[in-house]
Amino acid sequence: MNKTALSIITSGLIIGVGIIFLGGPISGSETASTEPGQNIEIRDGVQYVTIDAKGGYFPRVSSAQANLPTKLIVKTNGTYDCSAALVIRSVGYQKVLPQTGEEIIDIGTSEAGSSVRGTCSMGMYSFVVDFN
Amino acid sequence: MKTHTLHVSGTNCSSCKILIENILNEQDFIQNARVDLKEEIVEIETNSDQSPEKLADMLTDKIKSNGYILSVEKTIKEKSVDDVIWKALPIGLGLLVLFFLLQRSGILNLGIGGQTTATTSFIIGLIASVSSCLAIVGGLVLSLSAKISQDKVSDTKTFLLFHTGRIVSFAVLGGVLGAVGSAIGINFTLTAILGLIASLVMLMLGLNLIGVFKKNKIALPSGIFNFFRKIEHKIFTPLILGFATFFLPCGFTQSMQVSALSSGSFVSGMLIMFAFALGTLPMLLLLSFGSASFAHGKHAPLFFKSAGVVVIGLGLFSLLAGLAGLGIINPLFNI
Repeated sequence: MNKTALSIITSGLIIGVGIIFLGGPISGSETASTEPGQNIEIRDGVQYVTIDAKGGYFPRVSSAQANLPTKLIVKTNGTYDCSAALVIRSVGYQKVLPQTGEEIIDIGTSEAGSSVRGTCSMGMYSFVVDFN
Repeated sequence: MKTHTLHVSGTNCSSCKILIENILNEQDFIQNARVDLKEEIVEIETNSDQSPEKLADMLTDKIKSNGYILSVEKTIKEKSVDDVIWKALPIGLGLLVLFFLLQRSGILNLGIGGQTTATTSFIIGLIASVSSCLAIVGGLVLSLSAKISQDKVSDTKTFLLFHTGRIVSFAVLGGVLGAVGSAIGINFTLTAILGLIASLVMLMLGLNLIGVFKKNKIALPSGIFNFFRKIEHKIFTPLILGFATFFLPCGFTQSMQVSALSSGSFVSGMLIMFAFALGTLPMLLLLSFGSASFAHGKHAPLFFKSAGVVVIGLGLFSLLAGLAGLGIINPLFNI
């Protein structure tokens, strides 16, 4: 094969890698992500944000109300991958979640414009809760 | 008296000049030999009437054992090396695309419910060995294997020691987790830092495999060289490296550690971690012995460079992910 052909293939593959990393959801599990606000529930003055953890965190971006005591409900269901090993640096939380179950994490009260970010221990899955 | 200019290849050190000049000057038909390392040429003054081609052949015989080759034409070898990287780039990138597509496809997020037994942890090990954990553990195994094979040391022994060390430490540490029942080895910050170190090692080895260091004559720091010499020659180091993989950040490993932790006894904890390590073994064996067999085959240069591309890709991925995991940078991607 000549160099031109190889360099065309190479640039094609580089674009492919770019799409995989930066592109939108391919389909499958991610279509199940909830509508904005659907994973937020306020009960007895406490705001609950539900996140599904399996092969990543869903929904990836949640919008919650500021200035309300907030708790995360992280649901696992046969989760063995990295998303089970959850780290939320801003509240100093780190734990390997049970393979199936619900974990309630108190993230306190946040100001408008701030956000709370959680990642898995290896860092390739993440979610963010924006407060406004 | 004639003066010929010959091209020399294989000169990677400054002492090469002295060595080549010494050997060439010893030949009785050579009056004077001068090596220019930068241009990779040798100027010889000779009273022989032989053709430059013949002289190059005769002199190459004398210095071939030291790894140098003389030729009249600038070696075509160098050109073919350049071509190899052009083939290696698409191969390496293609493998990376396949790997990350596999991660995105969601095939690996199989639901395995119920109690964690030795059987389920074996299956989880099989899955883990092709999951994103492969980026860090597999990348490390691939880069070390390729490097060890490239340096032509007794690779089989080193690999066996590494994999034995890995399985035995998983079993023993799993047993300890089960018996102690409290958290050892699952401090996330520590594992994340270990992961960062591993990805830096991968990046460096990857660049080395591609030949960046050699080409620009940038030598690796001597400390790192000593480190590899130790890996290659001591029994202890591959065992320790196998042991260290227990603490590398891998979600599956961490889940299994927690299962072992809550299993409540030494034997059950040991069984879970042993079965898990056994499940990851086929893929890792394939990586290390596969690279050894490629390394001894005729496509060795292509293999080393392709492996270098893959390892650099995986190293970058783990480095960026690891930095995001530590909260140093915002996550750049979600795979």
